[in-house]
Amino acid sequence: MKWFSNFGFQRQNRELQEEIDAHLEMAIADRVERGETAEAARQAAVREFGNILLVQDVTRQMWGGGWFEQLARDLRYALRQLRKSPGFTITATAMLAVAICANSTVFSWIDGTMLRPIPGARDAGDLVSLQRGERNFSPTPPFSYLDYRDLREHNRTLAGILAYHNDWIALTGGAQPERVYIANVSANYFDVLGIKPVLGRFFLPEEESRAIPNVVLGYSLWKTRYAKDRAIVGKSIEVARHPVTVIGVAPEGFVGAAPGLRDDLWVTLDPLGSDPWRMTHRDSDWLILIGRLRPGVSRGQAAQDLDAQMNHIVVAYPDQHLGDNRITLDPMWRSPFGANGYMAATLPILLAFAAVVLLLTCANVATLTLVRFVSRRRELAIRQSLGANRIQLVRQMVLEGVVLSILAGAAALVLTSWTSKTFAWFFRASSAPINLNGSMDHTVVIGIAVFSLLAGMLCGALPAWRSSHAPAIEVLKAESANISGGLRNRRLLSALVVAQIALSLPLLLCSGLLLRTLRNLAGANPGFEQDHILTASVGLNIAGYSNDEAQLIRHKILDRVSALPGVKVASLTDWIPMTLIQKRNDAYPEGYVPHPHESLLVENAEVGPRYFESLHIPIVEGREFTLNDDEKAPGVIIVDQTAARHYWPGQDPLGKRLSVGGSLCTVVGVVRNSTHTFVNESPEPMVYISFFQHPGYETMVQVKTEGNPVDLEPAVENAIHQIDPRLPVFDVRSMRESTHLASSFAVIQSTLAGMFALIGLVLAVTGIYGVVAYRTQMRTHEIGVRMALGASRVDVLRLVLLQGVWLTGVGLALGLAFALGLTRVIARLLYGIGANDPVTVASVVTLLGAMSLLACYFPAHRAMRRNPVSAIREL
Amino acid sequence: MNEKGQYKNRIDLLQGTLDMLILQTLQWGPQHGYGIVQALRLQSGDVLQVETGSLYPALHRLERQRWVQSEWKQSESKQRARYYRITARGKKQLARDLGRWERIVEAIGSVMYVKPKESES
Repeated sequence: MKWFSNFGFQRQNRELQEEIDAHLEMAIADRVERGETAEAARQAAVREFGNILLVQDVTRQMWGGGWFEQLARDLRYALRQLRKSPGFTITATAMLAVAICANSTVFSWIDGTMLRPIPGARDAGDLVSLQRGERNFSPTPPFSYLDYRDLREHNRTLAGILAYHNDWIALTGGAQPERVYIANVSANYFDVLGIKPVLGRFFLPEEESRAIPNVVLGYSLWKTRYAKDRAIVGKSIEVARHPVTVIGVAPEGFVGAAPGLRDDLWVTLDPLGSDPWRMTHRDSDWLILIGRLRPGVSRGQAAQDLDAQMNHIVVAYPDQHLGDNRITLDPMWRSPFGANGYMAATLPILLAFAAVVLLLTCANVATLTLVRFVSRRRELAIRQSLGANRIQLVRQMVLEGVVLSILAGAAALVLTSWTSKTFAWFFRASSAPINLNGSMDHTVVIGIAVFSLLAGMLCGALPAWRSSHAPAIEVLKAESANISGGLRNRRLLSALVVAQIALSLPLLLCSGLLLRTLRNLAGANPGFEQDHILTASVGLNIAGYSNDEAQLIRHKILDRVSALPGVKVASLTDWIPMTLIQKRNDAYPEGYVPHPHESLLVENAEVGPRYFESLHIPIVEGREFTLNDDEKAPGVIIVDQTAARHYWPGQDPLGKRLSVGGSLCTVVGVVRNSTHTFVNESPEPMVYISFFQHPGYETMVQVKTEGNPVDLEPAVENAIHQIDPRLPVFDVRSMRESTHLASSFAVIQSTLAGMFALIGLVLAVTGIYGVVAYRTQMRTHEIGVRMALGASRVDVLRLVLLQGVWLTGVGLALGLAFALGLTRVIARLLYGIGANDPVTVASVVTLLGAMSLLACYFPAHRAMRRNPVSAIREL
Repeated sequence: MNEKGQYKNRIDLLQGTLDMLILQTLQWGPQHGYGIVQALRLQSGDVLQVETGSLYPALHRLERQRWVQSEWKQSESKQRARYYRITARGKKQLARDLGRWERIVEAIGSVMYVKPKESES
C-alpha cells in the first residue's frame, strides 16, 4: 500500500515536471516566432516562469493525499533545505550528536551498573537487598547462617531469600596458582535469581550446609581455563589444593549477586567442612542476603515482616544480637553491598549535568535555526501567500529539526557504542574484582531516541512557532527596510544567547569546584605515608596450612622481607586504607551495658608490629604492638584518637578495656587519626588489633622502602616464594596506586564535569559569536552610513561590542543565580572548598565573560575595518 | 486572532478571483496552462499577469475539487501538453463565483461612488 501510493506520487511528480516543461517549450516557441534568438528566448521564458522548484513544491501541496504522502513530501523538502546549507547541517548535527552522546553515555553507565545490578537475573526489580543495623557505604556482611535460616523459613512476604559470601581463593593444580573470586552461596542462590545452568546442575537443598565439595564454574572461567570443555561436569579440579567436583556451569554474562563485583565460581556455604564455627553460631555474621518479593507485596510490607521476624530472633538470642538489629530493604540499584551505593551517589548528578548540556545545545541549535529561518523568511512568506497554511509551515520547520536530531541521534548511537565502554577506565587494578562498565542495550537505544526527539522538538519548534507569526504581506513589503528580521526575532535571539551563557555558567562553576576538589583530594594528607610503601597479598588463608604453620610462615615472611636490601621496615596487616574496603565489628567498653538496637559497630583492622612506624602514623600515647603480643599474651588493642574520645571522653584510655567481637582487650596505645576510606570522610573510631594475637583473614605484607617501591616488587615476591614456592602472592603494588581507588569517583565526577563544561563554554561562545556576527552583518549598511556621517572606528567598535557586553552581562547575572542554587546539590561531593567558593566563582565568571567578549570582538573588529563606501552599497 | 482572520480573508479573495478567471477562460474550450496565461493577458489588455506559481497550484486544486478535468493531448504545434476542461460542477461553481464577484463589485462601487448617487437624487 505504502509502495503503491509512493508509486502514484512518483507518476504525479513526473507529470508535473512534464507540464512545466511543456509550458516553457510553448513560451520559448512563441518568443522565437516573435524573432528572439533561441538562447535569449529560453532565458526569458525561464525568468518569466519564476522559481520552478518552488512552483512544483506549492503545486504538490494541492494534491493533498494521505498523511504519509504529505509527510514524505515535507521530509523531502526538509532534506533539500538541509542539503542547501551544508555548513549549518554539519555544525548542528555535530553539536547535537555530542550533546546526545554525553547524555546517552552517562545513561549507558547507569544502565550498565545501577539498572542492571545482577546481569542475567530474572525480574531484578523484584529483588531486594537486606541490611541489618546501621547503613553506610560497603557495610560488612550482616547476617549469621542460623539467623538467615530462620528468616528464610518464617517470613511471609518474600518468595525466597538467598545468601552469599564473597571471597577469593587460588585455583591450584596448574603451574601457577591462579586467583579466582569465589562466593559461598545458599542452595537456592541460582533459583532465587532465576538463573539456569548451561551445563550440569546447580546446588541441591540437601547440599547447602553439608561438607560436599561441589563447585559451579562461571562461564568465563570455563571458557578461558577449561576451553569450554563440555565434559567438565563430573570432573575434579583443584581449588586451594583440595579436590572439588564440577557439577555445573553458569550461563554467559552471569557474574554473581554482588552489584559491580565478579564471581568466578560458586561453592556451598561450607564445602570442605572446615569452618563449622560460622555455620553454627549466631554471632558470626558473614552472609549477605537478597530476597525476592512475592507478587503484590511492597518493599515496605516486606521490611515490616522481616523486621518482626528479626525481633523474634533477637528476643530468643539476645546475647548474640547486641547492636542495631533493625532490618532495612533496598532495591538492588542502590544496594549498599557492592558498587551501587557509590554509583547512586555519582551517576545521577552527572546525568543532570549532561541534561544541562543537551538543553544548552538545543538553545544553540535553535539560535542557528532562527538565524537561518530569518534569512529564509522571504521564501516562507511566498509559500504562505501561495496558500500554504501556517500548520504546514510549522510542520515543515519542526520536521527539519527532527531530521537534524535523527541524524545526530544516529551519530550519537555510533559514538555511544564506544563511549559506553570507557567507564571501566576509571577503575584502577585493585584486589577487588570490580566489574563495572556501561552497556549499550535497547534501553540505551530507546534513551538516545528519546533524547534526540526531545532535542529535535526543542530546536525546531521554537523558531517555527516564532517565524510562523510573521505576517507574510508585511515580510514581503518590509523586505529591505528591516533586514535584521524584526524586533521580535531580535529579542528571541538575544534571549537564546542569554540562556546559553546562563546555562553554561553553572556547568563551568561545578566543574571548577570538582576539579579543585580533585586537586585538594590528591594534595590532602591522609595521615599516613603513601610514598615508599609497597604491599603484597599472600594467600595464606587458602593454602591449607594449620594455624601454627601459618603463624610460623608469617614470622618467616617478616624476617626475610625485612632483610631485603632497600627495605626499611616490614610489617603485616589485613587491610589497606583507602581501597573502599571496611571491616567492622561490635565493640563496647568494659562495664558498658548496650541499649537494645544501639549500633556498636566500629571499624577495625589487624596489624602487625611496626605497622604504625612503617606508615608514619604517630603514636600519641603508649606503644605499638610487638611480636610478643601473640595468642598466649593477654589481649591488647590500639585505638585512634577518635575512638579514644568516643569510648573514654576526658579520660586516659591507656589501660582501659574494650570488648571487641566478644573478647576483652586492654588499650596499650593511642595513635593519631588517619584516613580510612575517603579523604573527605568524617572521622570514625578505629580499633587496631594485634595481628599475631588474632590473625587477620588476609595476610598482607607492608614494606617501607628506601627508593621507589615498584623496584622492590620482584624481590619481595621472590622472598615469599623462597619460603614456600606454592604460596600464592597477589596484588603486589605501591600504596599510592592502591589508594587511587578511593578517588575514582572524584575523578569520574571532575573528568565528566570538566568535559561537559568545556562543551558548554564552546557552545556559549559560538552562540554569542554567531548572533553578534549575524546582527553586525545585517547592520553593515547602517554602520556604513554612520561612518560616512563621521562616526569614528572606535564608535563602531563600541556600538557592536556594547550589544555583546549587554547580552553577556545579563547571561552572567542569570547564570550566577542559577549556578549558586545548583552548587548546593554537589556540596557533599566537594572537599576543601565551599560550594560558593569566591575564587572559583570569580574565575569562571571572568573566563566566561572574557571569552564572550572575545567572541564579540571579532565581528566588531571586522565592522570597524569596513570601507564605509562599500558598506553603504551593501544592503 | 482578529489579525489572523483578516489576513485569511484577503488570501481567500485572491484565490477565489483566480479560480473564477481560470474557469471563465476554460468556458471557451479546453486549454493548457500556458494558454490560460496568454488568454488572460490578452483578454485583460496586458493588465492581468498571472504568476505560474499561482496558476499551477490553482489548476491542480481545481482538478482535485473536480471543477476541471485534465488530459494529455497534442497541441496545434505538435507539443504534448496537459489540457484542462471545465466540468459541469465547474460551471456551477463559476456561476456562484461570478455572482459573488458581482456582489462585491456592486458593494465596493456603492461605497466608492456614493457622491454621484447623491447628485442623481
